[in-house]
Amino acid sequence: MSLFQATLQWLTDPAHWQGNDGIPTRLGEHVHLSIESVAIGALIALPVGIVLGHYGRFGTLAINISNIGRAVPSFGILVIAFEVFGLGDLPIVIALTALAVPPMVTNSYVAMREVDPDIKDAARGMGYRELAQVLRVELPLAVPLIMAGVRTSAVQVVATATLAALVAGGGLGRYIVDGLARSDNPRTLAGALLVAALALSTELLLAGLQRVLVPRGIQVLNAPVVQRATTFKTA
Amino acid sequence: MNRIRGSYLLVAAFAALATVAAACGSTNTPAPASKGTITVAGFNFPESSILAQLYGQALAHDGYTVNYKLNLGTRKVIAPALQSGQIDLYPGYAASELEYYNNSAGEATADPAATTVKLNTYLAKINAIALTPSPAFDGNAYAVTKATATKYSLTKLSDLTPIAGQLVFGAGPECPTYKFCLPGLTSVYGLHFKQTLTLDTDGPATRAAFKNGSIQVGLVFSSDADLNSLGLVVLQDDKQMIAADNVVPVIRTAVDTDEVKNVLNKVDAGLTTTDLVTMNGQVELLHQDADAVATAYLQQHNYFS
Repeated sequence: MSLFQATLQWLTDPAHWQGNDGIPTRLGEHVHLSIESVAIGALIALPVGIVLGHYGRFGTLAINISNIGRAVPSFGILVIAFEVFGLGDLPIVIALTALAVPPMVTNSYVAMREVDPDIKDAARGMGYRELAQVLRVELPLAVPLIMAGVRTSAVQVVATATLAALVAGGGLGRYIVDGLARSDNPRTLAGALLVAALALSTELLLAGLQRVLVPRGIQVLNAPVVQRATTFKTA
Repeated sequence: MNRIRGSYLLVAAFAALATVAAACGSTNTPAPASKGTITVAGFNFPESSILAQLYGQALAHDGYTVNYKLNLGTRKVIAPALQSGQIDLYPGYAASELEYYNNSAGEATADPAATTVKLNTYLAKINAIALTPSPAFDGNAYAVTKATATKYSLTKLSDLTPIAGQLVFGAGPECPTYKFCLPGLTSVYGLHFKQTLTLDTDGPATRAAFKNGSIQVGLVFSSDADLNSLGLVVLQDDKQMIAADNVVPVIRTAVDTDEVKNVLNKVDAGLTTTDLVTMNGQVELLHQDADAVATAYLQQHNYFS
């Protein structure tokens, strides 16, 4: 039996779809860890990037400081955090948050910087105050780039959350780590495929979210010329 | 430490000079003929390099020309290389070699001699042989912190039996299904831990878990250099459960002469687990070179006299 067939068999075995080590449980743990980490990362990164990008100051500093999270291996952060905080989700959430922050800081900073100064001037001229200008003019224009950062972070976090299995944690990484240790190749490959599928779904889901968040006018602005023209005709 | 390193460098420099001088001299008067060439390989971890150097330098002292292929890789690299004759000799570990060549048939036991006999039935098929296993052992070991050992006065694994229910055990992901790990601890020693954590096999996560008290009992390797500095005590395997991963040279039958056998057996017979721990410490913690550590050991134990 080929590895591919064995993996397929592993994935379709009903026994692997129930219990504490079943796919639904592990998937739930994986998603839980990932959402927690990306959400905390966004709460830290987006305000920093957006505010600094709006004022156009200290961007290099913020981007470089946050990049430490990318430069230091997640496994290193994980082991140190595990030693300090012990068992539980906290060490892995710390490691993943450190990974999630940099792309979101960089992208939100650049997104705000890239807003056309003429548009900002126009907003001022029409009587927008600063907060309103940020919330109603600059942010909507910046959403595509900001969301690109969120997507990058989320996909990285989903892929890296497999590390949780190395410090007695759960998630889909369990299958990869256990499979490797027991020379159970179908289990390892099934785990890897599940993580890849989850990462792809994350990307697609966030792309959908982006479509909802980007105002219609800007979607039109970014669309190909032909489409833009027809849209304007019918509008 | 620097002073020691410095003196090694000096020795190495003189050795290099001497080699050059000897090479120059040999153009006129031929050096004593080599007894043959032997290629010694080692796995990709420091202890294996040390062992390969011990064997290699002892053979070189006896008059063989020795080539080294250190840090060659895992068994998946070493075994085919031995079979094809690219290497002649490597330092193996009786039980692990057996379970590799028999495709994990689970034939290894706690008896090094019996395990080696069994191993040789498989090695014969690839024209190789394992010599006499050394008392030096690098295999699974179960450790507790000094604090835990004092609290419950633990020295051997069977001491754990009555109190295992209060302790958390940590080991690698293969442990729950590996005969000489959790199944063995349960069936041979009757240990039923409060909880078993899946960490790594003797890696940073296990060390971190010991430090923060997440586990009280953990799997380590018997020849780890840092057990002492981590404050860990290895519990004695008093019911002979753990597989006999004693150091044993695996050699191609083509180069397995009585003389080679004598040289290697002599090294193996003198080597102890404590020696391994000491030498591993010199290489891993003091960052000395494996060849210098091996030379110093052989000199101290009068192999060169």
